[in-house]
Amino acid sequence: MSFMQLLIEGFWIVGKILLILVPLILAVAYTTFAERKLIGYMQMRLGPNRVGPKGWLQPIADVIKLLMKEVVVPSGANKTLFLLAPILFIAPSFAAWAVVPFDAELVLADTNVGLLYLLAMTSIAVYGVIIAGWASNSRYALIGSLRSASQIVSYEIAMGFALVAVLMAGGSMNLGAIVEAQNGSALHWFWIPLFPILVIYWISGVAETNRAPFDVPEGESEIVAGFHVEYAGMAFALFFLAEYANMILISILTALFFFGGWLNPFQGIPYLEPATDWIPGTVWLLLKAAWFLFMMIWLRATFPRYRYDQIMRLGWKVFIPITVVWLIVLTFWIKFEWGWWFDGRGIAAIGGVS
Amino acid sequence: MNRWKHFFKTYFLTELRAGLWLTWRHLFKRKVTVQFPEERTPQSPRFRGLHALRRYPNGEERCIACKLCEAVCPAAAITIEAGPRESDGTRRTTKYEIDMFKCIYCGFCEESCPVDSIVETRIFDYHFEKRGDNILTKEQLLAIGDRYEVMIAEDKLEDAPYR
Amino acid sequence: MNIEVLVFYFFAAITIIAAIGVISVKNSVQAVLCLVLTFFSAAALWLLLEAEFLAITLILVYVGAVMVLFLFVVMMLDVDFAALRQGFVKHLPIGLLLGFGLFGAIYWVIRFEIFGSEKVPEPAKHEQGYSNVEELGRLLYGEYFYPFEIAGVILLVAIIAAISLTFRGRRERKGQSVREQHRVLKEERLKIVSMKSEPIKQGDDA
Repeated sequence: MSFMQLLIEGFWIVGKILLILVPLILAVAYTTFAERKLIGYMQMRLGPNRVGPKGWLQPIADVIKLLMKEVVVPSGANKTLFLLAPILFIAPSFAAWAVVPFDAELVLADTNVGLLYLLAMTSIAVYGVIIAGWASNSRYALIGSLRSASQIVSYEIAMGFALVAVLMAGGSMNLGAIVEAQNGSALHWFWIPLFPILVIYWISGVAETNRAPFDVPEGESEIVAGFHVEYAGMAFALFFLAEYANMILISILTALFFFGGWLNPFQGIPYLEPATDWIPGTVWLLLKAAWFLFMMIWLRATFPRYRYDQIMRLGWKVFIPITVVWLIVLTFWIKFEWGWWFDGRGIAAIGGVS
Repeated sequence: MNRWKHFFKTYFLTELRAGLWLTWRHLFKRKVTVQFPEERTPQSPRFRGLHALRRYPNGEERCIACKLCEAVCPAAAITIEAGPRESDGTRRTTKYEIDMFKCIYCGFCEESCPVDSIVETRIFDYHFEKRGDNILTKEQLLAIGDRYEVMIAEDKLEDAPYR
Repeated sequence: MNIEVLVFYFFAAITIIAAIGVISVKNSVQAVLCLVLTFFSAAALWLLLEAEFLAITLILVYVGAVMVLFLFVVMMLDVDFAALRQGFVKHLPIGLLLGFGLFGAIYWVIRFEIFGSEKVPEPAKHEQGYSNVEELGRLLYGEYFYPFEIAGVILLVAIIAAISLTFRGRRERKGQSVREQHRVLKEERLKIVSMKSEPIKQGDDA
């Protein structure tokens, strides 16, 4: 392979990465806008409506404001680590998007270990949090980072078990293959056989992204803003960006794992399927993800913050046992091919492999 | 029986769903936001906002530098220096300053004033752009008083029967 | 020189530099981070060997879980870094001697004839549909099923042992029982009494 070819290929990959990240950053900006608007509406307020028509330029104004602000490094802080932390936080949350398929063939890295890769990426994000809290030389930041880290580590276990269930149901760790395994109709999607897992995965996802009602790491009333108290300007914006990128990621993953990803929800319905056939799969995926994003905001508008011991109890004593029990149920479900979800995967089909 | 009820309530998230339903309904309710610069909420004539020093109708400043407001001010926001006026030797303030960062808008200065000189107007939407602008001098306070005298007089008249 | 070799040398260099950083960096938190970087670049090297499952598992287990606990411990300890590095020069000769001794022992066992890249046959490239995960699964749950399960049981025993070692009997502590708190009904805690409002007596407006 000549050098020129290599260069072109490199640029093509960078181009594809940008093609994912630029819309993602825009989506993050408008997610913040949607969040403020929706929570406003749920509290019978109007939300931001001054910048631009109906407030549509508000996120742009926020970005400009954050860019212009000074990044303050607190005295006594470890400067290198302080500036490294936001990068460590945002890098995995962006890197996780590499394995997310947007359509049957539309994926940056079609890897066999997509599911594990996602778990790995979410687990490294803890470093950004811990280091941010430690390097800030602030008690609030340290408490916040400790809370956040232990919360992420605890809910990662429940989430990992939930993903094991998805992997068993899908029969693959490739995200594309998991979606293809749900092909058929809306009733073929995994939300029916995996319903408790869906609920647990979803709630763990909310907890992992430190969103309300699990936002004790940044509980404003106790520790100001948690691990990112000392951050201002662009460094803060990176934390913000990563948090919202994670929210969108969790929403898209929920759609992929349990709601058929890019598959048409009207599949198999006589008149509706031909009528909606022209809609590209990406649109379906984004619509489904948008609903879960809305759910996240809805949860935040509805529920008060959990107490810390309750969060830990929920993760360890409720979610993990339920997932383990459901894993056993699922094993039998798959092996005896109940229903129509796991056709050709049971004892009868595989028989004596080993 | 109760145990089962509790079990179902816990694992089917009954109460959480009730809460979500509430916020969902509120999503479509009429919004009550007051669009501030265009719309304003009604104010009482007793509203305590920006301070002003008043004058008598003949143009003479009311303040006689009795320093009661300075003494009563719980936030120590008022600073007064007094002395005889050069033209006629009457006792007047040479300096009358209010630090608006200290002021807590309690209205005690207004209550204590024997000549109704220092008053609080209804104006609440003002700002400072430079450090130091937060200290209102005697000239500024008198200028505010001159500008809003009509409003101040009306408010005082309306409140007079209850004093 | 193809791109793979370049990538290999890049990550190999990072691995070595980061590994040196682990023992030479002043701040212990930074040392832990160096170790994390070492794991990362090692994982990248494994990826080059088409062992993506192992690579990701290395990141997931070591970087994502073990090192986080390490970092916690290091952060919480109030270590006097200056005191720790005082004996560095004094112990350097012994360290070097040990290092070279260890290297010599390894060299003696492996020898140079087996060591070079030309001695070891290049692993066969796999075709497009090859799945590392599937191969690993077949090996673990087929050929090495019993050793694998025994290892699992040993790990389980270790977990139970660790818990029983740290468990020091029931503590008589006063805490909130979330289960009980959840089970409380409104009727048990709240009594609504309907009573007539009492009129205020004249002259009693205090």
